[in-house]
Amino acid sequence: MASKGSRWADDGEDAALEAQRKKEKEEKKRLKAEKARKIEAEKQEREKAAAEPKPAQDETNSANGPPAKRRKVSPERETATATTQHGTAAVLNGADDTSKLLRFEGGTFNRCRSVENYDKLNDIEEGAYGWVSRARELSTGKVVALKRLKTDPKDRAGLPVTGLREIQILKDCDNRNVVKLREVVVGDDTSKIENVFLVLEFLEHDLKSILEDMPQPFLASEVKTLLLQLASGLSYLHDHYILHRDLKTSNLLLNNRGQLKIADFGMARYIGDPPPKLTQLVVTLWYRAPELLLGATKYNSAIDMWSIGCIFGELLTREPLLQGKNEVDELTKIFELCGIPTEESWPSFRRLPNAKGLRFPPNSAATGSVIRAKFPLLTAAGVSLLNGLLSLNPESRPTAKEMLAHDYFKQDPKPKVEEMFPTFPSKAGQERRRRRDTPNAPGRGEKAAELGQVDFSGLFAGREREEKGGGFSLRMV
Amino acid sequence: MSHMTNPLATPEQLYKRRTIGSLPLELQDAIFFSTQCLTQAAGILLQLPQSITAQANVLLARYWLIDPMMSHEFAEVSAAAIFLVAKIGPSPRAPRDISNVYAYLLSSSSAFFKPSSDSPPENNPESYYRSESDYQSFHSRILAIEGRIFYALGFDTHISLPHPLAITYLQALDFLNFDKEILAKRTLEYLNTALLSPQMLYCTCQPNALAVAAIYNAAKDVGAKMPDNEWWEVFDVDREELGFLVMGMRSVEGWVKKMREEDMPKMKEGMITRKDVQEVLASKGIKIAGVSAPVEEDPEAAMARKMDEKMDEMETT
Repeated sequence: MASKGSRWADDGEDAALEAQRKKEKEEKKRLKAEKARKIEAEKQEREKAAAEPKPAQDETNSANGPPAKRRKVSPERETATATTQHGTAAVLNGADDTSKLLRFEGGTFNRCRSVENYDKLNDIEEGAYGWVSRARELSTGKVVALKRLKTDPKDRAGLPVTGLREIQILKDCDNRNVVKLREVVVGDDTSKIENVFLVLEFLEHDLKSILEDMPQPFLASEVKTLLLQLASGLSYLHDHYILHRDLKTSNLLLNNRGQLKIADFGMARYIGDPPPKLTQLVVTLWYRAPELLLGATKYNSAIDMWSIGCIFGELLTREPLLQGKNEVDELTKIFELCGIPTEESWPSFRRLPNAKGLRFPPNSAATGSVIRAKFPLLTAAGVSLLNGLLSLNPESRPTAKEMLAHDYFKQDPKPKVEEMFPTFPSKAGQERRRRRDTPNAPGRGEKAAELGQVDFSGLFAGREREEKGGGFSLRMV
Repeated sequence: MSHMTNPLATPEQLYKRRTIGSLPLELQDAIFFSTQCLTQAAGILLQLPQSITAQANVLLARYWLIDPMMSHEFAEVSAAAIFLVAKIGPSPRAPRDISNVYAYLLSSSSAFFKPSSDSPPENNPESYYRSESDYQSFHSRILAIEGRIFYALGFDTHISLPHPLAITYLQALDFLNFDKEILAKRTLEYLNTALLSPQMLYCTCQPNALAVAAIYNAAKDVGAKMPDNEWWEVFDVDREELGFLVMGMRSVEGWVKKMREEDMPKMKEGMITRKDVQEVLASKGIKIAGVSAPVEEDPEAAMARKMDEKMDEMETT
């Protein structure tokens, strides 16, 4: 506690002086009180009477004067510590003290280090929000991913707000299924802050390139492990009021120990409850929820759950599930797969801005979901989960927490233990450039597409002639 | 847990303020206080919620523990802090608005830091007119300082304010015999005043301690009865820290009065600037490394400004 005293000594000299004066006063008072106590030691009642005004005096002191070194101690502990000269510190550390105070550690703040502390090994990818490369920290030899923030010195808005939000959110996150931001470093010229790099933990793969290259799809047990990790990472984010808003396979990283981590928080943001008005221009088209396509400006974590549904489908088939060419085409594909919304299944959808011009086939007999037929190898529980995630009505989608408790993960085949996960050749680690053919997340400030008049009535015209149900296939799990 | 904690200043950072070569402490304190007040005033004119302005205050305090105060004009550091916090938050403000607000607050037309006894100053729009070139150069400086602030703080802009905690604590304490509104208002007043304190309470104490100390002070002020036991321990604050904070929060008012009378009479005329500080230093005969005479105006900017003035003259005639 003595060190703490000196730490605050910069109140200015007068404050110190005043404290000194007060201290002397206190000292006198205390001596006086002690003297009085000695004289009247035998008389129990009178001693009590002498002690009583003291707390009252100290009460006013603590409010109006600087904190004195020797302080009143709480009434119930007074007898035990009446003669202690060290005040509260001794009381709090005393053996008879039972209260344990939580200490909150928030860390410290300091200047960014220089990017020169890292040695670049190879480029990994160039994305919409900057490029990523693999690098080694010189002092520790640890391999990391360096993600450069795209900055434009001519941009009069300053540092890009998406990148700043990503840093802010990643700094607050600490979960095994969310990529870890180790620090932020800057280029050597610090007179102008233009070169900003995020130092992220390095993972060997992203799910997209694995899916593209693997000769056989993931086993059911492996899909479960991946989905469980994805849901648990997302549940952490949603618990912390973070929407990711750009979940897709290329933003999910996987290391050689079977661990999946959510990455790329360029679109992410904090939301309140109820959510504020948000931009509908989020999430890469193929993973974008129908309420966003229909122009909702109030949405919630259910948009991330829709993306998980799309990823689920992609894990099963190795192909992105809903590859729309534009907003209208994407909606068409969604309705083809999931059926068309009705007043019962999604009561409020007609009130969404872009839903007014939509025309649907008059009878909804043959317009239900074909998810069951599209994934013949999936178990009933799996279909029920996928159906839930791909509910048109955001209210019907399970939350990440509910998803974790879904039957699908309890049934055989059980999720594969992460350590038993197969390994893949790492493109990121092998100095090879990866092509990207998923469309990018929409840019900030772009104009949201107006759907206008769209006719979906021909959508299910040939439905009856289609083959229903799956064939037969045998696979080891 | 991150919602309840803040990164705090290290003892070395606090000590650095006192080392040889830095400004005299009383000057630092005066600069700190007036700049924080300016930030608050700008926050009000920009119609920002206090939660944003308060964050700008905290960020500014942190920044000045890393970079020397004299490296930028104080008002512009304040503007950059507001710009930056508003930008990453839900309510961004246009640089143009920020420029206008600061131009007004620093002009002779605004009542900012003028003695309240005087009649409000005459509103003279010319005094806070900013030409396009002035605005452009102001904007560029704000962006440069923004980068500096991010760099100095390691891009860590996490700030947890004690205000919501204080409300929760008040509800938990349930001062039955007292009007909740008065007590809560007083508590928040203490928290907001603490933002201005040159003791940098928000950089040295966690939000829970700030909240408890503000409640303690408020309850004392309004005469609400507090629990007899060591209730602050329920909120994980020990008596030592509470005592320090209670004092720190209470001393701001007296300190400000004294400072404005004695150390910084200039503050009666408005916001202090780097030039004022240099004058005070010169009058006291103190030389500080790195603090030189006012920087010459950039020749190009000077030319642009002259041309603007010419244009204005031509328009008026």
